[in-house]
Amino acid sequence: MAVTIVTVASPVQLLATVDDALSFAYEAALPYYKQGFSIRKDAWGGDLAVRDKKAVSSQLFKGNDYWFLMATDLKGASLSVHIYDDKGNLVDAESWQKGRFAGARVSPKSTGTFFAIVQILKSPEDRTPWALVYGYK
Amino acid sequence: MLHGKSLRGEGIFSGFSMKQISLLTLLVSVSGVTALLADTPPKKIAISDFPAAAVQDVVVPVPSEIFAVLDKLGNPNWKSQLRDGKAQTPEDRARTALLLGNVIAEGFVAVEAEDSERVKELGRQVLTLAEAINVRKSVIARSKSITDKADQRDWKGVRAEFDGALQDVRGAMQELNDQDLSQLVSLGGWLRGTEVLTSIVQNGFSRDGAELLHQPELVNYFDRCIGSMGSRLRKNLLVSEIRDVLRKIGPIVNQGGENISIDQAKIIHDFTHGVNQQVVNGVN
Repeated sequence: MAVTIVTVASPVQLLATVDDALSFAYEAALPYYKQGFSIRKDAWGGDLAVRDKKAVSSQLFKGNDYWFLMATDLKGASLSVHIYDDKGNLVDAESWQKGRFAGARVSPKSTGTFFAIVQILKSPEDRTPWALVYGYK
Repeated sequence: MLHGKSLRGEGIFSGFSMKQISLLTLLVSVSGVTALLADTPPKKIAISDFPAAAVQDVVVPVPSEIFAVLDKLGNPNWKSQLRDGKAQTPEDRARTALLLGNVIAEGFVAVEAEDSERVKELGRQVLTLAEAINVRKSVIARSKSITDKADQRDWKGVRAEFDGALQDVRGAMQELNDQDLSQLVSLGGWLRGTEVLTSIVQNGFSRDGAELLHQPELVNYFDRCIGSMGSRLRKNLLVSEIRDVLRKIGPIVNQGGENISIDQAKIIHDFTHGVNQQVVNGVN
């Protein structure tokens, strides 16, 4: 099965660990897959310093429910993901943050561009690899 | 998209053992409590404050995401949306990539129309077109599954296979460093999907249906993709015409979703229909 990772920085060593982060992100998605969400094979990934944020843009459709799941493989790190609309309003229907895993659900009230804002909250390393996937139903 | 890789097994999660899953589930459970307090997102942010390098490009939705919404909007006459005939495999690789995306999107229409013979025919076309651009291997299993599941009338399964075919083809192209052709496959799918969507929206106009056309960032993204392609592809007559069409559609879909009118849907339909005709039959 082909998996595509969208990543900004791509040195070989980093990719290896972003792939590990992706495995954890898919793991975080497992409960939602079981609830009937289709999990996209396209994924985002990269590395970030503590408190740095990245905006991941997505085209979402009113009528669908979405879960965004983020993870890192780095022990001791914690991270977060939240969804904003194109005007910058927080639109999470719910969210959770559990150490190296985080998730946010959105049920768009309108169709359009949304932004998943990902952030490393704390980490034992300067740079923390992360991966983000989403599912819909 | 700079990187693609394959995971083992058929499903996303099949590479994990039960022991690993249990361990990871435990990790999710025990590490949560303390971190909950650390994450209080602001209610409002300024997206424009993010430097360009900190904003990642939009990922093109798979057709299923749109069809999942259409399922909830009623029951259009999908059979009337089906395209007749079988397109010949072009010699032009750009048109082949566009046609491949087009045919995969057509597969979704055939699924909605529950036309198993057409679905199987389109599954075979996917294989033929993939062969023409050297990614046949990536869709052999998908093509067979499409046929098997169409015979079983497992429409949800067929949809998943067409979605998978689209992503597998793109993944294989990226492994071959054919990013541009990969984008053209996505674009071809989007063009056919938009043509069908605008037709449906016109035939049974509703605000919710029209709102599905509100995809401004996606249109801009495809425009930027073409702009960053090599000059040979960028100057390809069909690709160039598609870029013109995207620039005409952009201001229309950039409006507030609920404001897209039936007349505007018709304009978008006419534009996309025109270029799709050329994708199928070649440039006039």
